[in-house]
Amino acid sequence: MTEQVAPRRAKLQLLVRHDDDQSFEIREVESAVAFVQSRPQRVAPEMFELAEVASRVAGQRNYILKNTETERFLLLSEQERYLWDLMDGDTSLQEMATAYVLKYGEFDFDIIPNLIRKVQRAQLLTLTPSSSLRRALARNRRWAIVKALESALTVLERINVSSRKVEPLFVRLYRWGGFLLFTEATAVLSVLLAVVGIVAGVELLRHADSVAAGLGARPIAALLSIKGLFFATVAAHQIVHGLALVHYKRRVREFGFTFLHGFVPTFYIDVTDIFMASRRARVVTAVSGAAVHLVLGSIWFIIAGSAELGFTQAFAAASGLIQWQAFVLALYPFCFIEMDGYHVLVDALGMPTLKHDAIAFVGRLLRGGSPGRVTREKALWVAYVGLSAVSIAAFIVFNVWLIIHATA
Amino acid sequence: MASPAEIAAFLGGVRLFHQVGEADLSALAERLRERTLKKGQVLFRQGDGGEEMFVVSRGSIVVSKLVTGNVEQVLARVEPGDFFGEMSLFDRSPRSATLQAETDSTLLVLDRDNLGRLIQDNPRAAAAFFHALVLILIERLRASGEMVAEVTRWGLEATGLDVEAR
Repeated sequence: MTEQVAPRRAKLQLLVRHDDDQSFEIREVESAVAFVQSRPQRVAPEMFELAEVASRVAGQRNYILKNTETERFLLLSEQERYLWDLMDGDTSLQEMATAYVLKYGEFDFDIIPNLIRKVQRAQLLTLTPSSSLRRALARNRRWAIVKALESALTVLERINVSSRKVEPLFVRLYRWGGFLLFTEATAVLSVLLAVVGIVAGVELLRHADSVAAGLGARPIAALLSIKGLFFATVAAHQIVHGLALVHYKRRVREFGFTFLHGFVPTFYIDVTDIFMASRRARVVTAVSGAAVHLVLGSIWFIIAGSAELGFTQAFAAASGLIQWQAFVLALYPFCFIEMDGYHVLVDALGMPTLKHDAIAFVGRLLRGGSPGRVTREKALWVAYVGLSAVSIAAFIVFNVWLIIHATA
Repeated sequence: MASPAEIAAFLGGVRLFHQVGEADLSALAERLRERTLKKGQVLFRQGDGGEEMFVVSRGSIVVSKLVTGNVEQVLARVEPGDFFGEMSLFDRSPRSATLQAETDSTLLVLDRDNLGRLIQDNPRAAAAFFHALVLILIERLRASGEMVAEVTRWGLEATGLDVEAR
């Protein structure tokens, strides 16, 4: 059997000169990356009209899209209409593909490029290859601080250590014991550990002040080292996602380290292939990664509960707290971050672009727009934004309280 | 600063001078000027005038052409033993690209006078030099064709343009 070799991606090497004119950096840009990160922007609303076409076939809906300037007409299927609505200049092709899979439970790899070609030929589309943040920074480059931030982001964004050949490694890890994570015994053990961890955590909470005092004279340094240790467990979180993919016989496409949005250091894994599996598989994949933090947090709390008052106890308690925070953050969907819990929520609600639509709707309301007729969808959008805003505020307050207590 | 003997030994390993005899290389080495560049230092910019060609003896030089604003496309990297700047040496036209040191580098400078002297003193050595130069220029021309194709493919892949259907 011959193995098909994927075509090599075209690359461009660009020299970007800094303002001092002497220093520069060389960036390598892959065509595929530029494509999936591009954000198609349909033309202004006054330049097109969209009308539904009545169909005699039950359940089948088609739409006619008209370029009002060129008088050109296109026939769109319901799926294409859905993608057309996403072409707002903010949603990348990668996000559109994910939204499509979540909405329709399947993905045709040609549908997006085909639609783009169709609407480009009808002069109804432009492509914008950069993030909103980067566009905003570029607009305000005259400010020295913005310029410095832009340069820092550029440097950080270039840091990406990843491999697309990790599938065999994950298969081996699964065979060598990874499969044990997906057994009922492990699930029961995790729940038991969580219960014991909660008991130990509650007990520690009763003596929070004396426990925190154990961090000694340098609490900030201690907290930073705890954060550093926690960061290593983020890799474990992603590895478990990968093992879940192998468990459901799906492919691990990529694993690596990067700076998310240019400033959040993180490990990541490409779990796109899990969308080809059942909803149960998607939920297990999402939850299993987060469960790493629940188990580790419980273990830390048990260690803290059995330790004497002092640095070890304080270190273990703080580590447990951070792990549990990570568990809640990963599964808690209302925080404007698309983490595991968010994906489970949008999967369950059948609203793949919940965050995007919710922010856009609430933004319109805040600018004085009319809410129109109240629908379930709109109520969910408002609830999502409201809960997320309150949750983030509560999270910040809790952490400030924690640091003040630890340093008092 | 390298001695003429060291420069001659180095030139002996440079493809451009493979067919030039030792005596001629020694004579040429005495006439070559050495120039050092600090990392980041620009040797010349696209559009500058100049009548010299350069052989890299140490370091790495980036050849780039302006695309937009402060962004340039990297055309090539010139490493020890490679040369550049020959176009302006022959046709006196403005520099076609910007050359900037990627690392601390040392260059050997061959100007029009010294090339003329090589042609006058040893036509056989000059012929060998030009033969090697033509072969290298043909290679570069082919590489440029490849680059044009690669850049076109990049644009098609990055924008999703379907030219077949147009």
